[in-house]
Amino acid sequence: MGWIARNSKGLLACAMLAPALLGAPAQAADDLKIALIAPVSGPMARQGDLMRKGAELAIADINAAGGIKALGGAKLTLLVEDAGDKVETAKNAAQRLVANRQGVVAGTGAWSSSLTLAVTEVTERAGLPWVTLSYADQITDRGFNYVVQTVPVASQLALNAMPTVLDMAQTASGKRPTKVAIISDSTAASQAFVTPLRDGGFQKLGVQVVADEVFTPPLNDATSMVQKLRATRPDFLLFYSTGFPDAKLVLTKMNEFGLGKGKLPTVTVGVQFASPEMLKAVGPELLEGLILVAPNWPSKSQAAALPGLTSRSGEPWLGQDTISTYGDVMLIRDALERAGSADGEKVMQALRATDRKDGPADFYLGDKLAFDAKGRRIGGAVGLIQWQQGLPYLIWPKDDAVRSPVWPKS
Amino acid sequence: MTDLLPSLETVLQTLATGLLVGCTYGLMCVALGLIFGIMRLINFAQGDFLMLGMYFGLAVLSGAGLGATIGPLPALIFAGLAAIPVFFVLGWVIHALLLARIAQRRGATEGEAHQTQLIMTLGISLVLSNGALMAFGSTPVSLNVPFASQAFILDPLGAGDVLVFLNEARVLAAVAALAAAGGLYALLHRTDLGRQLRASADNPLAATYMGIDVVWSYRVTFGLGFGLTALAGVMVATYYPFQPYVGLDFVIVMYAGVVLGGLGSVMGSFWGGVIIGLVQQLSTLVLPLQLQGTTVFVVFLLILLIRPQGLFGRSVERA
Repeated sequence: MGWIARNSKGLLACAMLAPALLGAPAQAADDLKIALIAPVSGPMARQGDLMRKGAELAIADINAAGGIKALGGAKLTLLVEDAGDKVETAKNAAQRLVANRQGVVAGTGAWSSSLTLAVTEVTERAGLPWVTLSYADQITDRGFNYVVQTVPVASQLALNAMPTVLDMAQTASGKRPTKVAIISDSTAASQAFVTPLRDGGFQKLGVQVVADEVFTPPLNDATSMVQKLRATRPDFLLFYSTGFPDAKLVLTKMNEFGLGKGKLPTVTVGVQFASPEMLKAVGPELLEGLILVAPNWPSKSQAAALPGLTSRSGEPWLGQDTISTYGDVMLIRDALERAGSADGEKVMQALRATDRKDGPADFYLGDKLAFDAKGRRIGGAVGLIQWQQGLPYLIWPKDDAVRSPVWPKS
Repeated sequence: MTDLLPSLETVLQTLATGLLVGCTYGLMCVALGLIFGIMRLINFAQGDFLMLGMYFGLAVLSGAGLGATIGPLPALIFAGLAAIPVFFVLGWVIHALLLARIAQRRGATEGEAHQTQLIMTLGISLVLSNGALMAFGSTPVSLNVPFASQAFILDPLGAGDVLVFLNEARVLAAVAALAAAGGLYALLHRTDLGRQLRASADNPLAATYMGIDVVWSYRVTFGLGFGLTALAGVMVATYYPFQPYVGLDFVIVMYAGVVLGGLGSVMGSFWGGVIIGLVQQLSTLVLPLQLQGTTVFVVFLLILLIRPQGLFGRSVERA
């Protein structure tokens, strides 16, 4: 005790200097924090990294444009919490966030729907406005007040995607497909998408399901499934795999059996199929012609609204994770401007009241950006992406597409 | 007849795939079976050894650029052959520095030594998988050799109605597996080294009295097991994308194959792996694909019910 009393001045000076010595960021008192909860470690770390890039670019653009004008030009800073790859780690991240919430006005994340479900349990109780690109119906089925989904939910995506695919096939080839084969893994996400189509969805569209194979990941070999494709000769394949290795096994096996490279038109779900990693692992030949259903993807209007975003991101092309997170931050900015306050309730009211055809709406597919009473997206559209000559291009919606779809004529 | 043709094609295709897949499983199982059969060590790091073999294949073909320089097939053969000595040495070092030291600690009974070694292999597994995650990242990668998506097409009836596709990479992996398993059999049964290893397995005390260095035999065994697992890893990497946790996808198959073949029977482990591959594929002819894994374990349980010692295991306790 005596030593402390003797050296109190020195200790005080050390305590004052410590933040600077430890490299703590200098931060104005009025700065506002935007939270990002995303998997920045573990097997999904790449997706979290892409989201972080989107958030950082958006915040840099907002600050460069003068910050939040309605709040005296307040600058934004990004607070990243690691969601990991498990529900528990995501929930812990959200709990850390709300425990140190000072200055946090809203957040976005957490990529996978299962992680987002856990995160929003915490943010809802804390009254923290949350914006997400996750599209499981359950996220906005729980009667929560502090969450909005910026892309169409899974059930809408499934039922809207297939008519869109059939229309596109007819437009591109002159013939409407009538036979489909389904290959899907047994995960909740896959089955949530496939079940409504299997249970009458395809029948209503006049499409006969000639093969329906469900596998439990990890897949050891895809021969039996691809052999069924050879035997049943569908007009197209609906393929939903959440696992990267399983996807590669099926695509490789299709090529081996003479069904690859677009010979059997294949429609799949999930932007992991359009990632640079997929291109590296599978190669452009096997991906050629593959069509992906995605809730968001860079479009003509996005490119016009913000030229140069791709080169600034350092990625070979932008995907859903980056563009959606960029859009989420822009949406929060828009809500802050309209709310004129950093109060959580007012920001959330402004988010729910969003009805924009420009501004943040440029970063999502669809004709407008608005939300219903549950917090679900109104005005969203299903995006179709196709691999053509080694790159994934938006081919639908037609008005926003950057390339025309390719569908075999025979 | 026309209606029967697709099912005949499907049966032949499934049978051929089952054999090819089974041979690769067989090699993985034989490596694990070797370690268990001779050292009586349950090696939790076996899946991670497989993963290291995969990354070794990637390093040789892509990292060192050998695939582009001498062509993918010669580069793959080189990688497979090089994997055995490289990982033999690594296994030797792991045994010398870690496993043997804790087994030889003063006052430990044989049972305690096995327990501590078992926990040590669990630790090695965690270190390897997490170390690989730090070194290689979590993004799945693959070798991307052209023959992974190409097939030898057989026309068994000669009329072009029934075609059987044999994936070239899997054929290569099966040939490597058969050669390695055959080589191991010859080593164990036709050489003095093999006799030493088998003697160390059968009765370590008597082997010691006969002048055999049992610890040295175990070290050779562990190195050989590691080398063969790495060879399997190189071959599997041609058609299976991998990341640091890929071992978990195969480790259950390895253990099931070893138990099915008969604990302690090295070559029985190979046939255990082949049977698992066959059952896995043939089950899809009559059952939904989702029950593939379940069928394997139902057959596994049925066989153990009839022959608790496994197909090729001995029914007596180790002397």
